[in-house]
Amino acid sequence: MSIVIAQEKKPLIKFDAQKCIFCKICELVCARYHYGKYGSAISRINIVRRGIKSLRYLICTRCEKRFCIAACPRKALSYKGGNIVVNEDLCDSCGDCVKACPFLGIKLHPETKKPIICDLCNGDPQCVKHCPRGALTLIWLSR
Amino acid sequence: MKYGGYKGKILRVNLTTRKTSIMEITDEFARKYLGGNGFAVRFLFDMIDPRIDAFDPTNVIAMMTGPFQGIYVPTSGKYLLAAKSPLTNGYFDSISGGQIGAEIKYAGYDGILIIGRADKPVYIFVDDDKVEFKSAERLWGRLTSETQEMIKEEIGDPRLSVSAIGPAGENKVRYACVITEYRAAGRGGIGAVMGSKNLKAIAVRGSGTNEPANPEALEAWMKWYNEEVKKVPALTTGLPVYGTPILVSSINNMFGGFGTRNYQTEYFEGWEGLCAELLKSKYWDKDSACPACPIASSKIFSVKEGKWKGAISEGPDYETIYSFGSMCGINDIGLVIKADSMCDEYGMDTVSCGVTISFIMECYEKGLITKENTDGMEFKFGNDDVVIQSIEKIAKRIGIGDLMAEGSLRAARIIGGNSERFAIQVKGLEIPGHSARALRGMALGYAVASRGGSHHDPRPTGEYAGASDRKAVEGKASWVIGTMRWTTIGDSMIICHFLERLLGYTLNQRHVDMINPVTGFGYTYEELVDVAERILDLERAFNVRAGIRRKDDTLPRRFLEEPIASGPSKGMHTDEFTLNKMLDEFYELKGWDKRTGIPTKEKLIRIGLEDVALELEKL
Repeated sequence: MSIVIAQEKKPLIKFDAQKCIFCKICELVCARYHYGKYGSAISRINIVRRGIKSLRYLICTRCEKRFCIAACPRKALSYKGGNIVVNEDLCDSCGDCVKACPFLGIKLHPETKKPIICDLCNGDPQCVKHCPRGALTLIWLSR
Repeated sequence: MKYGGYKGKILRVNLTTRKTSIMEITDEFARKYLGGNGFAVRFLFDMIDPRIDAFDPTNVIAMMTGPFQGIYVPTSGKYLLAAKSPLTNGYFDSISGGQIGAEIKYAGYDGILIIGRADKPVYIFVDDDKVEFKSAERLWGRLTSETQEMIKEEIGDPRLSVSAIGPAGENKVRYACVITEYRAAGRGGIGAVMGSKNLKAIAVRGSGTNEPANPEALEAWMKWYNEEVKKVPALTTGLPVYGTPILVSSINNMFGGFGTRNYQTEYFEGWEGLCAELLKSKYWDKDSACPACPIASSKIFSVKEGKWKGAISEGPDYETIYSFGSMCGINDIGLVIKADSMCDEYGMDTVSCGVTISFIMECYEKGLITKENTDGMEFKFGNDDVVIQSIEKIAKRIGIGDLMAEGSLRAARIIGGNSERFAIQVKGLEIPGHSARALRGMALGYAVASRGGSHHDPRPTGEYAGASDRKAVEGKASWVIGTMRWTTIGDSMIICHFLERLLGYTLNQRHVDMINPVTGFGYTYEELVDVAERILDLERAFNVRAGIRRKDDTLPRRFLEEPIASGPSKGMHTDEFTLNKMLDEFYELKGWDKRTGIPTKEKLIRIGLEDVALELEKL
């Protein structure tokens, strides 16, 4: 199944830190969906905690600046249909995109060494679907 | 490794030589000991001379996972720490929530064994197969939360998982704990063992994965879980909305088993100042969970007004409300929140800490100690300032804090005057807030548990729920054995004991059905019973070699001699005659010698512990 994303709308996975219980089930189901395995380093979302009440989520926010695309020396990244898409043939695993992202939304896959970035799970984001407290929601922003 | 959920490797770390090595584990070993508790007790039995002092460098800390860590099964976000305990002198393990369990798996290990003693404060950083010994000199003296943050910053990774001790562990407070995020491997003093090794923290990051043997079967199990859990109010409303404080009103008002003023009674008239409804309406900030847990029994509470305004903590849980609340005669939940947060930051078990303060209060009120012994503090029940001052003094071993840091049993032996009869502990471990007098199974359970006064060996929940008559003597030994088989298997898988309300209070087929999809063992119920018995009897064998016998399987004299003074369970207790009767039955069912409490050769051979039988014959 594939969905067509209207070009004038931008998807965003929104995070409600008050609702989040820091269970990290989003990380587990993200890895399972994409790789059939569990691992925090192959999850495209991570939740981190600093101090007793401060929670942050680390994920691609589809930001307007597209730091990652600008940083890629091989032009391997592009924005298509609401997602940052990696052309793995062009990518040489330099990691500049990882360093450029201020949201810590990109990491290199530990084995393939290619960037892994939230792709909304083909329109049905698993993190949103499995969050037990509704802390993650998929919204569409108008341009 | 042909089975699911295992990496087949144990990382061995020697702090003295600063060398590491890898030990492989076999399919047969995994199947025989399951993981977590089972792995830890086998390693400790083989590696430690059980007669050593717990602070001897040759004591071993086992940081273990089970097959469930890092896999999405509700409540699997845990890890286990084990060592010879400085409180009980026996085998001890303590389980904590925390991402670090999953990270150990992702780094490629089923566990880490730590031996020796570093010459200077260090922390260990495990980054897949790279292991570094890093200086902890600038971390020494730091609280647990700042220690974790400083290590994350030093490594430059906010995702890093860190388990750390606080000042209490450094100062070898006998009930110092180990904190991960804001959760504790609380009981038994393993934090002090870390401190004795000059080990401030363990940080782990893994880039690998873990997966079940049979994903389809696990998915089917998850479907079953999601349907069945809806029928269990405790897991869908009780714990998610209120957390464990919900127990306060029922344990006090229905069961009359809420230890009060060092168990001078078990009904606390000030319970309304400590109850879940009050916490939820006036102190609640948000819910929190261990990794992989949708239940989220943990709560973040803060004090918005009054004397303790500004105090904030993840918790308190029920046991802490008991230990600092009713046990110290305090009906102000604000104080309990403050005490809870201080214990987390200093890295101390809230149960042992509160119960020891409560013990000192009774000694003071009875005139066994005076202001001259207490640095001028008035240790009267209800004196909240004394509680707060004590926590700091204990963590830093200042003044009377140095005595209290030894725990209630050792303090009683120093204070004398027959105070040991009301030191609320078994084998040195302070008893939590589940009554040994109002619940018959807990009387027997505390007496025989490897860890001593622990409510995670036998469980009180089935007696509260009426699955076993809380007053009955008949059949209680068999009930206690069933609950202990379940808890030891739960601690080996590692999953949370709160699932007992869904899976059952005693070991049964449902546990088999949960383990097989992940491991692919194809266990039968009978084989799983043998695994449980093997682990439990190995714990006992460790303790037997450390000198523990039937005479140590007992309760505080107060419980044996004084019936509950007031409240719904007024008049109840288990006297020595009744306890002995249950003990006889327990040893007989276990296949332990009734006179000594030592597992028999026949029993050990039957469960595949021939080598252990040989070891015990040497005694």
